[in-house]
Amino acid sequence: MVRLSRYFLVIIAIIAFSVVIPKFYWMAFEKPVRSPFVMYSCVENDFMIQKSTQDGLVRTDTRGNNYTREQYEEKLPLMYMRQLMISGTMPDTINGVFMDAREINDERSTFRLRTRDLFTPDPGLYPMFESQSGRANLEMPDDYFRITWRMEFVDANTNKILEEKSRMFSAVLYNRGFDFPAKSINGIPTTRKSIDEGYLVIDSEDQLFHVKMIKGKPFVEKVEIPEGLKFKHISCVDFRNKRYYAYLFSEENDLYILTQDDYVLKKLPVDGLIPEEQEIKIYADYFHYNIISDGEGYMRSQILDADFNPVDEYSETWPVKMERTEGKIYKFLFPGELSLSNSNSNYNAFFLNLNKSINWLVLSLILIVIQFFIIKRRNEKFKNQIVDFTAILFTGIFGFLAVNIFPNKFFK
Amino acid sequence: MWKSVIYKEWLKTRWFLIIYAAIGVLAVGRIFLKVQHDFTFNEATNFWYVILFQGYQYFGILKFLPALGGLIIAVSQFFPETVNKRIKLTFHLPIVENKVMIIMMLFGACCLLLTFGVVSLFFYGLSIIYFPHEIIHGALVTMTPWFLAGLAIYFLAALIILEPVWKFRFLYALVAVAFIPSVFFDDTITGGYSPANPVLFVLVIIMSTALLFSGYRFRKGEM
Amino acid sequence: MNAIECNNLTHYYGKKLVYENLNFHVEEGSILGLLGKNGSGKTTTINILNGFLQPRSGECLIYGENTQHLTPENKARIGFLIEGHIQYSFMNIHQIEKFYSGFYRKWDKEPYWELMSKLKVTPTQKISTMSCGQRSQVALGLILAQDPDLLILDDFSMGLDPGYRRLFIDYLREYAKSKNKTIFTTSHIIQDMERLIDDVLIMDYNRVLAQKKVDDFMQNFKQFYFELVDGSIDFSKEDFIANVEKVKNKVEIYTYESDVYVKSFLAKNGIGHKNFKKVEMGLEDAFIGLTGKY
Repeated sequence: MVRLSRYFLVIIAIIAFSVVIPKFYWMAFEKPVRSPFVMYSCVENDFMIQKSTQDGLVRTDTRGNNYTREQYEEKLPLMYMRQLMISGTMPDTINGVFMDAREINDERSTFRLRTRDLFTPDPGLYPMFESQSGRANLEMPDDYFRITWRMEFVDANTNKILEEKSRMFSAVLYNRGFDFPAKSINGIPTTRKSIDEGYLVIDSEDQLFHVKMIKGKPFVEKVEIPEGLKFKHISCVDFRNKRYYAYLFSEENDLYILTQDDYVLKKLPVDGLIPEEQEIKIYADYFHYNIISDGEGYMRSQILDADFNPVDEYSETWPVKMERTEGKIYKFLFPGELSLSNSNSNYNAFFLNLNKSINWLVLSLILIVIQFFIIKRRNEKFKNQIVDFTAILFTGIFGFLAVNIFPNKFFK
Repeated sequence: MWKSVIYKEWLKTRWFLIIYAAIGVLAVGRIFLKVQHDFTFNEATNFWYVILFQGYQYFGILKFLPALGGLIIAVSQFFPETVNKRIKLTFHLPIVENKVMIIMMLFGACCLLLTFGVVSLFFYGLSIIYFPHEIIHGALVTMTPWFLAGLAIYFLAALIILEPVWKFRFLYALVAVAFIPSVFFDDTITGGYSPANPVLFVLVIIMSTALLFSGYRFRKGEM
Repeated sequence: MNAIECNNLTHYYGKKLVYENLNFHVEEGSILGLLGKNGSGKTTTINILNGFLQPRSGECLIYGENTQHLTPENKARIGFLIEGHIQYSFMNIHQIEKFYSGFYRKWDKEPYWELMSKLKVTPTQKISTMSCGQRSQVALGLILAQDPDLLILDDFSMGLDPGYRRLFIDYLREYAKSKNKTIFTTSHIIQDMERLIDDVLIMDYNRVLAQKKVDDFMQNFKQFYFELVDGSIDFSKEDFIANVEKVKNKVEIYTYESDVYVKSFLAKNGIGHKNFKKVEMGLEDAFIGLTGKY
């Protein structure tokens, strides 16, 4: 019993050290690496790459030309329009098209999807805005809805279900073929947007519905999607050009857009987008879409024109932290590390990151020899210490500290 | 015999326990006084909104309350045993030593669970007046590691207090300081701990026998 | 039948030897006093007997059971008084009686309350607020109520004034003798022991100097005084001498041998002396005589 309690304590200590010690190590020795910022120049029809090096910020293109800040900004007129207008260097036409400031602004959008946005607790309740209130500003409704066995509105003031409204919406959903409950509810639940477009809801049969409220009445549209297509993430957007409702990521890692009003689901000709591993950024302007996937140690930029035809692409890799000096030393020190949080998730779980090399075994063996001498000095029998030695072998420095903080004495 | 052991533990802890439970109930009262105030002065819908979408934790003052409870119960229960090595009396009772310690541990753990239960029930009972189950569920998931931390701190504090050698007390405290904040109080958002909670639960269960280790070291004459 | 039996006890603190191959036993029904200077291993022995210390080697048996793992049934037969009369001082005399009564089948509260009735304490007064003497009576009362067969008393006289000490000893001896109890006790006040114990076990650093009936010990262990003609003669190496205290030409020797033996030794070796006499000793004198003043 006591022996067992000791083993439990050793386990607790190993967990504690495998969380804390590597964390301190990285805090002390990790050097920052920023992924390059890659944009596409509509003037040069080439990539503009900005990265921080030892000599400061460097701006180049793919042909090896270096640019000053001013030159760089002139190559990206749609992006730096305001700056160029102040400097008086904004061209009137680009690629033969007359540049209207308002139009440039309307067509420009940025989008970012972090991996952690995929792994995050679902609030379960959403506000249904009145999308045609006739008011300039959106107003926060007094009730929130959930879609479980039906669509229910709960009034915040009374914490009671609004029966009539719930029945009305549920009935319409039902009539449109909605299969309760909802798998995911996607929208922009804030009043700080230009206009409300309600929610894109996936039902339990992976059908896609557009649900909003117009003058207090439900508006439900079922979106036709190809057989077997399932979405793992839907990001609704509120862009000024109102061309589409959302970026949709399918289970097959394809990227779709859903056009406004005519509900055409369009698959974009890009590949290799894995939102579970990469941060996805989409910069759109009058001429191009720049779809960037930022992974660990690599980035890729795929350029589409305004009609979604592939134009160009660029990719780059750099050494990840495990390949740099601090990582190489790490491989000799720790068998792995444990963390309760992860930059790719909003959830807290026991994230185990094992050291993929076996270099750490060297330290384990050294520690086993040291432990051997400790045991000898204490005049203990070696056969009573086999578990301790095994713990040190597999958990290295963590196990060594743990078995000595909770020493194996008196156990025969 | 276990009744007598419990009687002794009760004599040691009763006032601390009653005061602690009162603090817990007052803390919940304070939470809902504020909720009620905010519902009146702000709009209910806005209050729901900041909870659902902006990560506001209306129950935030409960964060370290269970930790405090674990510490209070452990100290009130085990500190008197170490004064003049009074634990010798306990070990001399005609009952198996580990059994006495387990009964003592179970008493403390049950006291904590009872107060946590009272606080949670009170919290839940008031929550269902103001909030839908999604919000309450998020709150309870978020509070679970806090309550488990209370138990973990209780078990580790018992281990540390009963340890006869100061050097090892210090080392155990080091383990506790590394373990508790990084495992139970990591950066999180409301509901974020749901995958970790079952594991934390298992860890807390295995920590419950910790005091047997330092008790055994005492009996073997470590000093 | 032995109540206590210790065989080949060896213990170290770190590298410091406490004792090696210590053997002793306590017969049932006898009262044994363990005497020794500070640091000679009295507390170590008590701790081993109560299972609070694991000796480096050897074993102690109480009623045939190794003290490292006494069964609850056996522990119920042992009454234990901790040095300083330590008890659960956060309880009052009612609470503590209620607490202990739950553990012992033979619990008899009569002697406890008899002792308590003589104390001037209030029913709700915590033990922590009582005087040393009062606390000793509580601790004693609890042991008597437990009605154990073996009493292990660690320095029972500590902190007691003479009245309470006398009370404690007389009560204890009367109790032990009338009910055939075994007592194993230490005390640093040896005069107390004289009234109480039947057997004496005297320890010095690393070894046992004597284990005997007190009466035998007092009869056989003698002190002789004489004055030397030549003050430079040294006897300390002689086998029959347990200890010598010598100031200039004045000599006190401690020995188990008779005056005839000592005189003949002196004569045989031609050692001139005068004023030879036997000195009467109490237990304390004998203890100091055996162990030396330092």
